[in-house]
Amino acid sequence: MIRYEEATKRYGPGPPALDRLTLEVPAGETCVLVGPSGGGKTTALKMVNRLVEPTSGRVLIDGDDVADADPVTLRRGIGYVIQQVGLFPHLDVAANVATVPRLLGWERRRVDARVDELLELVGLEPATYRHRRPDELSGGQRQRVGVARALAADPPVLLMDEPFGAVDPVTRARLQDEFLRLQRQLRRTVVLVTHDIDEALRLGDRLAVLATGGRLEQYGTPAEVLARPASPFVADFVGAGRTLRRLDLLSAAAAIAPAPAAQPSSPEGPTVAPDATLADVMAALLTGDSDSVGVVDGGSPVGFVTVDSIRAALRHDELARSAENSDAPVELEG
Amino acid sequence: MKQSLRLLITPLALAIALAVVVAWAHRGAAGAEVDVLATGKLAERIREHVALCAVSTALAILAAVPAGIAATRPGLRRLAAPLLFAANIGQSVPTIAVLALAFSVTGIGFRTAVVGLWAYSLLPVLRNTVAGLGGVDPATVEAARGMGMSPAQVLWRVELPLAWPVLLAGIRTAAVVNVGTAALATFVGAGGLGELITVGLDNQRDRVLYTGAALTALLALAVDWGLGAVAALTTAGRRR
Repeated sequence: MIRYEEATKRYGPGPPALDRLTLEVPAGETCVLVGPSGGGKTTALKMVNRLVEPTSGRVLIDGDDVADADPVTLRRGIGYVIQQVGLFPHLDVAANVATVPRLLGWERRRVDARVDELLELVGLEPATYRHRRPDELSGGQRQRVGVARALAADPPVLLMDEPFGAVDPVTRARLQDEFLRLQRQLRRTVVLVTHDIDEALRLGDRLAVLATGGRLEQYGTPAEVLARPASPFVADFVGAGRTLRRLDLLSAAAAIAPAPAAQPSSPEGPTVAPDATLADVMAALLTGDSDSVGVVDGGSPVGFVTVDSIRAALRHDELARSAENSDAPVELEG
Repeated sequence: MKQSLRLLITPLALAIALAVVVAWAHRGAAGAEVDVLATGKLAERIREHVALCAVSTALAILAAVPAGIAATRPGLRRLAAPLLFAANIGQSVPTIAVLALAFSVTGIGFRTAVVGLWAYSLLPVLRNTVAGLGGVDPATVEAARGMGMSPAQVLWRVELPLAWPVLLAGIRTAAVVNVGTAALATFVGAGGLGELITVGLDNQRDRVLYTGAALTALLALAVDWGLGAVAALTTAGRRR
């Protein structure tokens, strides 16, 4: 668990880089710090491993103030993936991945075994890639090595600063998928920085939206942020497409029409599984002739979804979320 | 393969050239020339020359590399400009003047020549140390720190290996220039191949003069090759 308490960073006069950030990242979750540049995202990230010291306030890992830890020891226990990867260009892939285990003085055989295990984990065939140099890898492969290196000593906490920033969109999407797969498997406490709201919504269990001047505008799950932006800034940052994005986060099961009998059953019409996203349902509605899409669970029909039932589901979701954070400013979408 | 072949061609060519020069010096030597150009005497002059260059370059490395490292540490960056300024002075004052100044302190002999050559070779080493360390990608250094390397580990495991090609290029420049400059050491009585050149000039013995000049040039080429080979071997497999 990572906890920020009023963490503030000032570089000289003027607005602070980070302004009294208070939030808690539960263990095993991914918290994405997202916002425009100048929002203090990277500053907040680097406070965790003390590459940046707060001007005031503090950061705790599992209840211990990081300021009380020896920075070198602290950092060896935290995985770190940085912008532009930062692989050591004079060392091969294996030596890069082995950096922290070697600093920790692991036995050679244990290090070698761990390197192979990690390369496999990130999808790089060890026999092929172990002795490649970073400049012999593609951008996507470098990112994978960067992630493997960060995971090398099995740290419970992982810091990732724009980890997928330096690759093309296709590779980026694939790396994001792999990150989600790894995270489901490993359940690390992750703090990830990005300026890309789509990436944030995709990867984060929770989003911290930071505005210029280092102010936290909203902290919540992707669904909360989309359904109820806490401020005009967040609404603007999330963008006009937020309603469409919400469809990605709700399942067909949540939008089954209350009276399935109202629709004539048409076995030829499009059908989806109950866990399909409403975005898939919407696509089926738009491309098919039918006004409804059947929901079929393992061969047996459960009901229908229509445009009206989707609208109702979105409203319901919005109301449910406003009940959760009744203290947050409410701005209903028109 | 091609590179290792090229590494071997140069020393072979240098050895042949050395044999030709010595043979030419001996073949037509007459009168007093015979004694000055005897193989043993030539070897002695070369030994003196090599000693002057080796000691002065080594001392320059010992002084300039740590100074360059210090000047690139956070908090000490302000040192870089004055240090480079001082080294620039050492470089821009004519060597003969540096030797004269050193002469007034340490008198005649080997030590004086070494001091002069040392002052003269500080700049290339210092400048390239600062440039090499300054050229290391800050993201790489931060990755090293962020993963838990101590400042010393960052320096030894990341910064110096990455700065090494540039640093070595500075040492190579200093060493090669030193071979030429060391020909002036004869003016403070430190011997070396410069002695053949001055003796040849003073006595109008062209054969002696040319022999000294040719051997100095061959030695410079040999030093350049040697340090080039070190660079090739220590940065093998690395591409920038």
